Amino acid sequence: MLKEWLTRLRFLISPKPHREIDDELQFHIERQVQEYVATGMPQHEARRKAVVAFGGIESARAQTHEQRPSIFLGTLLQDVSYALRQLRKSRGFTVTAVLTLALGIGANAAIFTLVNAILLKNLPVVDPANLIRIGDNSECCVDSGIQDPGDYALFSTDTWQQLQKNAPEFEELAAMQSGLGTVIARRDKTQEAARSVASEFVSGNYFRTFGLQPRIGRLFTDADNVIGAPLVAVMSYNTWQNNYAGDPSVVGSIFWINTKAVIITGIAPKGFFGDRLSSSPPDFYLPIETVPVLTNRTFVHEPEQRWLYIIGRVKPGVAIAPLRAKINELVRQSFAATTTFSSELGKPYLAKVSVTLSPGGAGIQEMQDDYASKLKLLMWISGLVLLIACANIANLLLVRGMNRHEEMSIRTALGAMRTRIVRQLLTESLVLSMISGMAGLIVAYAGTRMLLAMAFPGAQGVPIDARPSGMVLAFAFGVSLLTGILFGVVPAWITSNADPADALRSGSRATTSGASLLQRSLIVLQSALALVLLVGAGMFIQSLNKLRNIDLKLNATNRYIVHFNPQAAGYSPAQVEALYRTIEDRFHAIPGIRKVGISSYTPMEANNMGRGVQIQGQPDLQDGASWLRTSSEYFDSVGTHILMGRVFTARDTSTSPSVAVVNQSFVNRFFKLGENPIGRHFGSPGPQTSGDFEIIGVVEDTAYNSATWKDHHMYFLPLTQRDPKSARKGPIDGDTSLYAEAIVLQTDRPMDNVQSLARQTLAAINPNLSVVKFQTFDEQIADRFTEDRMITRLMTLFSIVALLLATLGLYGVTAYTVTRRTSEIGIRMALGASRGSVVGMIMRGAMLQTAIGLAAIGIPVAWFCVRYIESQLYESKGISLAVLTIATLTLTAAATAAGLIPARRAASTNPSQALRTE
Amino acid sequence: MSATDLLQGTLDLLILRTLALESMHGWGIAQRIQQVSKDALQIGQGSLYPALHRLEYKGWIQAEWGASENNRKAKYYSLTRTGQKQLQAELEDWGRISTAIALVLK
Repeated sequence: MLKEWLTRLRFLISPKPHREIDDELQFHIERQVQEYVATGMPQHEARRKAVVAFGGIESARAQTHEQRPSIFLGTLLQDVSYALRQLRKSRGFTVTAVLTLALGIGANAAIFTLVNAILLKNLPVVDPANLIRIGDNSECCVDSGIQDPGDYALFSTDTWQQLQKNAPEFEELAAMQSGLGTVIARRDKTQEAARSVASEFVSGNYFRTFGLQPRIGRLFTDADNVIGAPLVAVMSYNTWQNNYAGDPSVVGSIFWINTKAVIITGIAPKGFFGDRLSSSPPDFYLPIETVPVLTNRTFVHEPEQRWLYIIGRVKPGVAIAPLRAKINELVRQSFAATTTFSSELGKPYLAKVSVTLSPGGAGIQEMQDDYASKLKLLMWISGLVLLIACANIANLLLVRGMNRHEEMSIRTALGAMRTRIVRQLLTESLVLSMISGMAGLIVAYAGTRMLLAMAFPGAQGVPIDARPSGMVLAFAFGVSLLTGILFGVVPAWITSNADPADALRSGSRATTSGASLLQRSLIVLQSALALVLLVGAGMFIQSLNKLRNIDLKLNATNRYIVHFNPQAAGYSPAQVEALYRTIEDRFHAIPGIRKVGISSYTPMEANNMGRGVQIQGQPDLQDGASWLRTSSEYFDSVGTHILMGRVFTARDTSTSPSVAVVNQSFVNRFFKLGENPIGRHFGSPGPQTSGDFEIIGVVEDTAYNSATWKDHHMYFLPLTQRDPKSARKGPIDGDTSLYAEAIVLQTDRPMDNVQSLARQTLAAINPNLSVVKFQTFDEQIADRFTEDRMITRLMTLFSIVALLLATLGLYGVTAYTVTRRTSEIGIRMALGASRGSVVGMIMRGAMLQTAIGLAAIGIPVAWFCVRYIESQLYESKGISLAVLTIATLTLTAAATAAGLIPARRAASTNPSQALRTE
Repeated sequence: MSATDLLQGTLDLLILRTLALESMHGWGIAQRIQQVSKDALQIGQGSLYPALHRLEYKGWIQAEWGASENNRKAKYYSLTRTGQKQLQAELEDWGRISTAIALVLK
């Protein structure tokens, strides 16, 4: 065996000289000659007979050669160097082809980089295959009550602890906060200002479950996650590097996190960006038991409140199906003990509670769920563009093939085998596609960066590397190979189909058809594909325009949104009323500031709080509304108009009667037509709570959360008025809903220093009060359209490239036809054809292909494909005629331009010269 | 029976069997097969040399240049150890197959 391999290796690296085989064959003939001579034949007769007896010496030699693998390598090297020489010789062709393909391959590789990073990659942890997540959706934040359908992914601290105790199939079962938030952090004994940083609360075994080792220091242990344990945190590697220059003394030092002293125990390993992909990965990891201490929130110890995701590492050999059944049983047991599911209303739902076990190796797949459909669409689109590029190159190669017809005829006449010629031509196209693939990687790198910037504008720490990874390199290589074969095989086959006799007939006269049927078909295909992409882009542009033209019922002119966090700055709920007064006063003192609104959250931001609603004296409609707290100037500051009654004033304080403002949708949903809502009472469903708030005013439906949320019922409560329901339950210190998170500033003119003014003003009130996020209202609104805008821009970009390629292709083929038919056109003109009729003849040919492409393929395919993007479009059903018309006209115009240039050239043919060109 | 009628793989067997006696050059192998088969088997050169090189590549035979019977430079092939094993295996196969065919034809 070894010997065979050695021989193989020797054959591979040291091809035997051709001489050796020649010598061997020559000896055979000589020996035969001797034999014949020995029988008395004359020398020359013996030689002749020996050669005849031997048979085809050339084929015997060739076949003997082919027994060795080295011949393959040798020919390959030969072909590659010949291909390179050929490509160097025709620079124009090479540059065009490489650029076209690099664009096509690069676009695909760029999209694939994202697909790979977002959809295919596992977390950088030990044995990701053994990680199992309990639950499979991205339900978020803090949830309570019954969910229908009953597929749960969020769990209470209690449920997690019970699972940990009762499911020994898991080596480790880690829990982590679902809704990532921010904390305010400042390093002790430094001049550093307090900053808002991303944080994640995790269980003590979190890092152990993932099998991670600290960069330095130590990661969490179970002892860190105990009530009353010293406050500790783990810092992410990136934060350590970027903000503290990798200073080892960070470990063991004190940080003031939400005004509490916390010791940094260690630095997380490099490359670990938390358990999910996020544009703002956690800077600090904190034990979940520190939630009440640091953020004043109590849900950690409330069995009714579900807020944790759970990922575990199963022991080897554990079967998943029985494990799932067991986990379901345990979860049901745990839920049964809660008041929600032990109530009469909740009991029937207990049987419907179910959890799915999903692969946990990629962590929590929030971003994956978000982007999967868009990325798939982009893969399709970039694939189409590549296909058009391939058609273009195939066309170019065909033209080249025609020009090399003579060369091929001569080679065939000299005895070249057809397979050999095909192989050589195919090598040429593969070399071309490989060069393009390499150039494509540069396009891919730039493209990925552009995509990332478009997908996550302004984000710093997106843990997606634009640099091509091994997977991406392999992908680009594969795509290059595929395209090389795709655009190379047919032209190679046709070109190799040369008749040796052709070479002997010099100056082969062109046939009238000029371009072959195949070339025309490629043009038809290109125009069809380009139309599909143009229609797609048009649909997205139309949808985005519709989205942007939705009346959001707000006013963003000269408005600025300052997010802040009074709780992280150390204020208790009892202290915030005074703080809000101070904020209003201080900001009003700044010249230029007209209105100061304070609220829990603002229009068009990714935040929402919801609760059930019942009108006092009416049946429970089993429906809810979003709600938030606002200050008296808030409605003016965001530009919400009042329809009825009044909004809050400075007299609506913590001690005045509980009042609420509702929006138009709320009135439409909960009151009969024509009923006057003013003065009516409502609240959370229940005989006691349904009378909690008195409606004092109705405002119009300003868009919250997203522009497309129709019939969004909302109610607004005064900023500092306690909810009577929670007031009945306990003291003010547990009432975290009193914390506002946003200040809306309206100025009387555009001002560019609002951010620094806000910073200074807040810091002057309390150094711990820092700006968590600052944006103009316009920027905040634009952020909500990021994804739609990105996909629309990319669609437009791709369709423009497609249009350009299709036009170039048509131009190339028409120009080629004109060159081939020069003499024919000359004869026609000599016989009296007018210039107009020549232009008409050429244009008819060119436009016919486009027309077929559009009418026979493009429009039906576009019609058919629109359904696949409908789900991504806003209020769009079927194809839009306007879009289809514009796309068709655009393509026709481009085709006309592409045809007209060669047609005019044909018409300017001088008959006498044309006839002499032979 | 001409060489083209030879059963697939039979040529390899014939070459190996011939080389089992002594090392030989290509012409000699063709001659030997022809003589032993009483001119019934004539090996075409177009298949002999590719076969020799294939067997060499497989490591069943090895080649070295030496002087021929009339002192010309010639390439001599000889059986390797794996080649001997292969010959044994192929002989057994052949025996089985020919017995089987004989049984059917009887």
